[in-house]
Amino acid sequence: MSNYIERFSTSERVLHWIVTASFFTLLLSGLGLYSRLFNGYFTFFGGGQNAILIHKMCGVVFFFSSLYMYLNHKKDMSTFDTDDKEWVTKRGGYLSRDSAHFNIGKYNPGQKLFAIYVAASTSVLGVTGVFIWMPTSFPRWLVQASLLTHGLMFVASIMFVIVHVYLATIGNPGTLDSMLYGDVKRGWAKKHHPKWYKETSGDNP
Amino acid sequence: MADTINQTTRKGFLVDTSRCIGCRSCQVACKQWNKLEADKTANKGTFENPRDLTPALYNRIKFIEKETSGEMSWLFFNERCMHCGDAGCMKVCPSPGALYRTKEGIVAYNKEKCISCKYCVSACPFNIPRYGADDKVSKCHLCMDRISGGMTPACAKACPTETLKYGTRSELIAKAKAAKKVLYGEDDLNGLGVVYALEGPPEQYGLPATPSIPLSIFLWKDVIKPLGILGFWGSIGAMLLHYVTIGPKKIEEDDEGKGGSHE
Repeated sequence: MSNYIERFSTSERVLHWIVTASFFTLLLSGLGLYSRLFNGYFTFFGGGQNAILIHKMCGVVFFFSSLYMYLNHKKDMSTFDTDDKEWVTKRGGYLSRDSAHFNIGKYNPGQKLFAIYVAASTSVLGVTGVFIWMPTSFPRWLVQASLLTHGLMFVASIMFVIVHVYLATIGNPGTLDSMLYGDVKRGWAKKHHPKWYKETSGDNP
Repeated sequence: MADTINQTTRKGFLVDTSRCIGCRSCQVACKQWNKLEADKTANKGTFENPRDLTPALYNRIKFIEKETSGEMSWLFFNERCMHCGDAGCMKVCPSPGALYRTKEGIVAYNKEKCISCKYCVSACPFNIPRYGADDKVSKCHLCMDRISGGMTPACAKACPTETLKYGTRSELIAKAKAAKKVLYGEDDLNGLGVVYALEGPPEQYGLPATPSIPLSIFLWKDVIKPLGILGFWGSIGAMLLHYVTIGPKKIEEDDEGKGGSHE
């Protein structure tokens, strides 16, 4: 019996990395627009005008790929059970060294909340982005509110992404495999997602 | 970003609206000097023409119809870039040198450096910047090419009634005050480059009583930006701190063993 179990399919992984690539391109091309402090980042794109063009194109890619990713997992991500409540009460065991065990399905509530946040912020960033894209076609108050909201959601998003990257890499060794090769070790699955492991492998840990 | 302005040598206009006869010589002279095309307009039953600033119209006379005891009278108002001392457009502009302050203290622009983001449209307290077919900012630049050579701006030169007076801003203000004029824009936004002596409350002219940079723009530039930078480094710091204090959730040998040995 293989020591590995599949967590994410090839199409799920490719989609995730399309979202990732467009996110970071949006970040780099948008920094110079966010503040003159980051004007140097325009150089990566050959000037501000090109950065705006790339920001718009990547915005479209990110909007649709990110929303599609959420809709693909909507059922898993938007339902919480009693084991999830236990996880939330104890903060997933992340605030203590004591080993904690939670009977978690394929996704823990932190992952679910992150997915919901990403879907919401993708929608907001996308819609406000359209107003900022064509500011002279919309009322000034709407564009002003959009500039504010776009900046606020960007800041929140980059903070969430930092936490996401930490938890998916060094914070939880073995997790990254699921997004690279798609397979995780059985031991990892039993520790982090025992209910999912049981359902998928029929194995009783 | 702090932008320095020398209030004693700063140049500007003093617009005494009580002297204006609505001849629009300022509009025409501006078009002529700046080689701006005529805009096609439609008659909407008012003498005001055009009805708004355009990419090819840097200043215009607003005709405000006022009725007092059955008598109609006009208020004339010269609408243009105010060359704010604290300019919203300069605050948001992401492209250094696209909107900049000259040594005369005016807000000038360089179309070649404009990246067409149009943030200045949203940040202007007076809704002045316009974008034309070239997709670049355009507005009154106070005839920067004339004043740098010691000449009077085209509009003020053409004004037959001395409504538009160009000169050292502090001297113009002192003279107007000596003549007991009530001034608009003396101190707002670190002093407007265009100061008005109005014949009534500013609202009558469609002006904000106390002009300011839009709240959304202030929040973005002065609150979210610094907090965002703090939040970015704070998040990285928090993750590193978590790693060295509580540490990662390692898979114990025990978990591995059970997984591997199970038949």
